[in-house]
Amino acid sequence: MTQNLAHSRKLLRFYPKAYREERGEEIVATLQDAAEARIPRASLSDQISVALYGVRVRLGLTSETMFGKALDIAAIPGFVMGAFFGVYLLISAELPVVNSKFFYPDFGPFLTVGPLFYLVWILGVIVVFEWPQYRRRIAGLCMTLTIVGELLAKLAHRNPNIWEIAILVSLGLPSLLAPDVYVTRRRVLPSLCVGLATFATLFFVSGSSVNPGFFNSFYWSGTYEIARRQPYVDVFLLALFAVLWITKRREVAGATLILASPWIIVGVAYPVSLQYLEVNTLNVIALIAWALGMALIVTTSRYRPRPPASVEQSTLNSGS
Amino acid sequence: MIKEMREPTFLVLATLAEGKRHGYAIIQGVASLSEGEVELKAGTLYAMLDRLTFDGVIESVGEEIVDGRLRRYYELTSEGTTLLGEESKRRVKVSNIALRRLRFVGGFA
Repeated sequence: MTQNLAHSRKLLRFYPKAYREERGEEIVATLQDAAEARIPRASLSDQISVALYGVRVRLGLTSETMFGKALDIAAIPGFVMGAFFGVYLLISAELPVVNSKFFYPDFGPFLTVGPLFYLVWILGVIVVFEWPQYRRRIAGLCMTLTIVGELLAKLAHRNPNIWEIAILVSLGLPSLLAPDVYVTRRRVLPSLCVGLATFATLFFVSGSSVNPGFFNSFYWSGTYEIARRQPYVDVFLLALFAVLWITKRREVAGATLILASPWIIVGVAYPVSLQYLEVNTLNVIALIAWALGMALIVTTSRYRPRPPASVEQSTLNSGS
Repeated sequence: MIKEMREPTFLVLATLAEGKRHGYAIIQGVASLSEGEVELKAGTLYAMLDRLTFDGVIESVGEEIVDGRLRRYYELTSEGTTLLGEESKRRVKVSNIALRRLRFVGGFA
């Protein structure tokens, strides 16, 4: 067994056992053929692509699975939701970035480096609408910058709102994970509607009860208000999921659940992290319902071997 | 079913229009048809083959072992043949219109 062959076989470990048994030898043969014909660098990119596809098959993130289809639907709307969330955060007073040792105001917007993140997401969506084929890379870039920015902000003694960042990064995940790298412009309008609905919901849900409708700093009160008033949103989202599921629009139902994820999780995680805040029971019920829904989608998306009839043994099978 | 056929898919189906092919032969066929513009990676190829098989556009028609390597062969189904035919006609129609227009404005010699 050559070293190259052994290496190719190792790559099969990324695939689920059933897939490995069905297609493993075929993939190894193709890799061997490619390695013989191509320059070493191309051969390496072949191996990387085989490994990445193996991870996708293992996680059920392929074009054939419900999870994959739901992610495809959720990809651009999720990114747009992130951008509209960024717009909301920008106009809810968290505008300036102050990063000086000498000027260190200790109130609301100045404690966060958020505005930079928000602008990246807004620009990211504009770029994705123009060049949808780069969606995965742009989402990855936005997510990386957000996470790196958060770490740098901590080094600079800023205190970015971790929940804002978690929501933003979660909304970019479908774009990164969706199996279809191309997105057509047909999804622009629905995506913008989803983004506007997010903006409107945030406006009503996280607006201060003291000054209703007033754009308060999300940094101070937004997450708290989400956790406090989330049940209404949760009930709506889960009812929407149920209706879509029952009416057999299951991929759209899955996409709804995926896009609801960050809000439902933060609605429970935020008060739990603070300890002194009471966790709303309805939020917990919604979280359990969400987890069950996601488990349903993920388990139905596991790789299953094709029926034996689909793999015909023809006269070509010489078995030399 | 495929709603919108992209270039790599079109090239894979066009390669299989010549007859059954195994994995690496498809990669070579696509590179040749596209004059080296599209170079499918092995992982991308198997993602496409899985999707096209799932959609009923292609099917596995047999396998053999050559030099200790398993070759599985794929070919177009009748549905795939129809789909490729329709897509080819559509592309030819659009191309013809474009060429006529270029002649009309004097942009095409």
